[in-house]
Amino acid sequence: MGAYVGTILCLIVINFLVPRLMPGDPIDALVAQSSETFMFGDDSRASLEAYYGIDRPLPQQFGHYLVQLGRGDLGRSIATNAPVRDELARRLPWTLLLIGTSLVLATAVGLLAGVHSGWRRGRTMDRILLVALLAVREFPPFLLGSLLLVVFAVKLDWLPLFGGETPFSSSYSFFERIVDVGQHLLLPALVLTVGLAAGTFLLMRAGMVSELGADHLLLGRAKGLRERTLKYRYAARNALLPVVSLTALQLGFVVTGDVLIERVFAYPGLGGLIFDSIRARDYPTIQGAFLLVAISVVSFNALADVLYRRLDPRTAA
Amino acid sequence: MSNHSLLEVDQLRVRFGGEVDAVRSVSFTLEAGDSLAIVGESGSGKSTLALCLLGLIQPPEASGRVRLAGQEMLGQSAAVLRSRRWSTAALALQGSPFNPVVRVGDQVAEPLRDRRGASRSEARRRAGELAAEVALDPALLDRYPHQLSGGERRRASLAMTLALDPALVILDEPTAGLDPASRAELVERIRALTEQRGFALIVISHDLPDAARLAARTIVFYAGTAIEDGVTARVMLEPAHPYSWALINAFPVMSTVKDLRPIRGVPPDPRAVPSGCAFHPRCTRADDRCTELRPELAESRGRLVACHFGGLKDLLVATNVAKTFRGAGHDVHALCGVSLAVHEGESVGVIGPSGSGKSTLARILAGHLAPDSGRVLLGDTALPTSWRGGTAKQLRRRIQLVMQDPIDALSPRLTVEQLVREPLDVGRDGEPDERGRVVADMLERVGLPSSGSFLSARPHELSGGQLQRVALARALVMRPKVLVADEPTAMLDASEQARLLVILRERQVEMGLGLVLVSHDMALVRKMVDRIVVLDGGEIVEEGSSEQVSLRPASITARRLVEAAPALIATSVRVHPTAPIDEWSSR
Amino acid sequence: MSRTKASGLLIIGGTLVGLLVIMAVFAPLLTAHDPTAISGQALESPSADHWMGTDIPGRDIFAQLVYGTRASLAVALLGASLAITGAISIGVLPALIGGRADAAAARVVVFLLALPGLPLLILIGSLAGGSNVALILMIGLIGAAPNARILRSQTLTLRQRGYITVARGFGGGPIYVLRRHVVPGLGPLIVVGFVNWAGISIALEAGLSFLGIGDPTAVSWGRTLNRALEQQSIYFSDMWTWWVLPAGLAITLAVLGFTFIGVGLEPTFNPRWARTWLRAT
Repeated sequence: MGAYVGTILCLIVINFLVPRLMPGDPIDALVAQSSETFMFGDDSRASLEAYYGIDRPLPQQFGHYLVQLGRGDLGRSIATNAPVRDELARRLPWTLLLIGTSLVLATAVGLLAGVHSGWRRGRTMDRILLVALLAVREFPPFLLGSLLLVVFAVKLDWLPLFGGETPFSSSYSFFERIVDVGQHLLLPALVLTVGLAAGTFLLMRAGMVSELGADHLLLGRAKGLRERTLKYRYAARNALLPVVSLTALQLGFVVTGDVLIERVFAYPGLGGLIFDSIRARDYPTIQGAFLLVAISVVSFNALADVLYRRLDPRTAA
Repeated sequence: MSNHSLLEVDQLRVRFGGEVDAVRSVSFTLEAGDSLAIVGESGSGKSTLALCLLGLIQPPEASGRVRLAGQEMLGQSAAVLRSRRWSTAALALQGSPFNPVVRVGDQVAEPLRDRRGASRSEARRRAGELAAEVALDPALLDRYPHQLSGGERRRASLAMTLALDPALVILDEPTAGLDPASRAELVERIRALTEQRGFALIVISHDLPDAARLAARTIVFYAGTAIEDGVTARVMLEPAHPYSWALINAFPVMSTVKDLRPIRGVPPDPRAVPSGCAFHPRCTRADDRCTELRPELAESRGRLVACHFGGLKDLLVATNVAKTFRGAGHDVHALCGVSLAVHEGESVGVIGPSGSGKSTLARILAGHLAPDSGRVLLGDTALPTSWRGGTAKQLRRRIQLVMQDPIDALSPRLTVEQLVREPLDVGRDGEPDERGRVVADMLERVGLPSSGSFLSARPHELSGGQLQRVALARALVMRPKVLVADEPTAMLDASEQARLLVILRERQVEMGLGLVLVSHDMALVRKMVDRIVVLDGGEIVEEGSSEQVSLRPASITARRLVEAAPALIATSVRVHPTAPIDEWSSR
Repeated sequence: MSRTKASGLLIIGGTLVGLLVIMAVFAPLLTAHDPTAISGQALESPSADHWMGTDIPGRDIFAQLVYGTRASLAVALLGASLAITGAISIGVLPALIGGRADAAAARVVVFLLALPGLPLLILIGSLAGGSNVALILMIGLIGAAPNARILRSQTLTLRQRGYITVARGFGGGPIYVLRRHVVPGLGPLIVVGFVNWAGISIALEAGLSFLGIGDPTAVSWGRTLNRALEQQSIYFSDMWTWWVLPAGLAITLAVLGFTFIGVGLEPTFNPRWARTWLRAT
């Protein structure tokens, strides 16, 4: 557990150092940019200088940075001049909705399909699932997203093209809003789910296949136990263990997918924010988003670790 | 239940992946309440057989018939198999595997819950009772498998097999990996359980003593098939199949005093089991029949043996041999009716004080001296006493004598090469230049140089030990079946003696020699032989396994010999007196 | 997975990667246009001159596709080489030396594994401005950890082997042992790791340039897609079929090519989870 705290501290240090270690100071770098989207006023320069505290020595800057961080102050956005924290807070629920939905769906579908496929390995169903999901996993999410958009939003016009909800939807009833948000969620969540489920499926299937040869499963058969007991209590229960620890690592994939997909669907979450900030060279926002995402990923890994320890009696105690 | 046996296995075969022959045609039956041990080297197919008994290996891998309480287990539907498993026959797998994520107690009672629909508390109560029955601390039931010691896991595994009160319990290596104390305890516990509950028991083990303690009947497995099947005491004490004999001789027991004897050759590869009798490449007596025809189990010497020869037969048999030397004043009765048998590959020690008739017996056995009465058979033929006759000559070459004094036995005028080559030249064995190679090879095998200078050396240039080894090489160069060695180390110092004996032993295993070792030195004999015959006054006064005679001698003569045996510390050999020493006076 | 199926995958993968190499090498022969030069009107439809039309200032899209192969292959080779070199230096060498160096390196590996790779790439990539060098360095660095983990465990197994003990016994230093015994022993794993990470590097680079990170003037598939999706109306005309689809498919096929080679090589010698660990990053 200490390792995770260490990692988070390190992330904070990286976040502090990276802009300062870039050649020149970050503000000079900004000014020197020859960007189409380059716009830069004197007052934003002042606010940037205040945020970075560039004129003070490095240790003092770090102290200042930590104090700001402790107060939850992530600086102000260059693009909107609003506090980065507020922008993140506004975007976060959308991303949580998207990732949460996909994660739950993908885990359920991936695990069930993996258990079934592995238990009946070599059957037609197993082969189809295996080949299909192997291919799907390598499909770049933005391509899949674009294709789905063209088919369902443009050609068929069944689903909205972009965004998280219909603009000016505040007049909708509560129920109508839910349907609206759901419609906007469907395609991006689908793309993310497919990629995630493929990973989980392959892991679970591999785990099941290796459990099939385990001696305790043979013993269970000798005991004349029901097929269901053998499949779930023996094989799946044991195959799940490595999957839990590896699913956490899949989170990197979730973040990648999220950023790319939000871009394709112009979804109003963190991924979209990160993309917009990159375009606008809105460094404080990028840094704030990085810190939030990175810490979340590490925390999730830590959580998975705890879960793993609880699931496997051999690592408990 | 009454009109069929509990277990009937008929022509069971298991072949994995179309090339690995794990079980090759096994047939046996087991009645309710019987106990059976299946012994054999690892990889002989014992565990695979166990899996078949519960239908855990099915066609197409398995073929033949396995009937458990009248129900065919091969090619059966999953529902029928499930109904028989654990309730009719339960199996403790090798290594006591457990589901690592489920508590031990829940696994012990699992069949009750899953099969009988017992409630949680009921199952828990039964698990507690079962644990008590196998002397497992019930508190351990709440633990996970990895928290139990090896012995505890085995007990838990045993408790688990009893959950549905099966008619047959199969234990695969129940004691492997345990320390001797817990091993003995567990064996006793299993014995007690079989008596209380009356289930039939199959123990699969490569540990012979445990198998012997647990089962009344023993089947010896080799290369996926039964090669001997009979009453345990019989199979273990007087094994008939050459493999059983070799296996039991290779096994170290506490009382073993002789050196361990490895089985020659290597165990068969289940991918390429030898044709005919699978043991033939390692057998010392195999002939053409053995390489071509597979032997079936057949009645021989009170048990079933799968051997074309009906198992080991006596190679050299002396019956009622008597010899009297007529002297000037009085006759010396050197031997008064001695009977002795040596079978293939066996070593027998003939031990006795000076004047007991040992050397006379040695010379009669080797065919150098004709007995007054009685006869000596080598194989099925009487040993000739005259020098004439072509067949007699061939027969005579099958048995060779190594004498006490090599200086006397080796002509001083011949070179080493001529000495060792002599029997080949006499018998016209092979081409002349091949004889040279045979000689050189044999010299190397007895630890002597085979180079030019040594070949042309004459006996006076060699040490006593070297001379005796030249004599040994000369005896072995004819590839005899029996070697009679009369005090072969009497003239040698300790280091030469050890060297000769090691060589003798290696050559014996390698060539499958029957060995008769004549000596008065109990310490030496007991390291070398399987069986000891004690001779005194021209009669056999005691006969038994080497550990029995050397550790618990029954006769006065034997006890005297044990006491007289060289020992660095007086008490290094403990003698258990079974008869008062003053019985000596009655002789 | 059967041997025939595996070799089938190898053939498909090899063909795909072979095509990539041919495209990269013979790019000037395949198209007459310079991918960075304005060679026509903005947003032209496909024609005999511009097979896949033009983008906003009027650059040839097909030329971008052909020359983009060079960027992808360069990233694949550099990223994978860096990842494997890094993996050897933090996974294999310390494991050979043992002792404190090993313990420290093991901690470094665990720490690097815990770092969220993509957010880090985005942070550094966007702050580094228009440089692709930093990006490739980062892709390599991120790949070092999972590969180090796999190679390390294999090295620890190898270290137990007699011939390595003997080689140390007659005075072979860690570098000698590494070169003479360990690298050949790890060879198969290194090859598979390299191929897998090459594929992942292409996907990462495409994703990053799709987000607009890296050199804005570079010619790469991701950059082409990035510019295409700037057009809000891209899906309402047929433009996406020549602007989005070919570049997207190119990325997919390139990644699949390397993946198939990796999967095809695996059954011969890969430990069970190796691929999973790589993928999970």
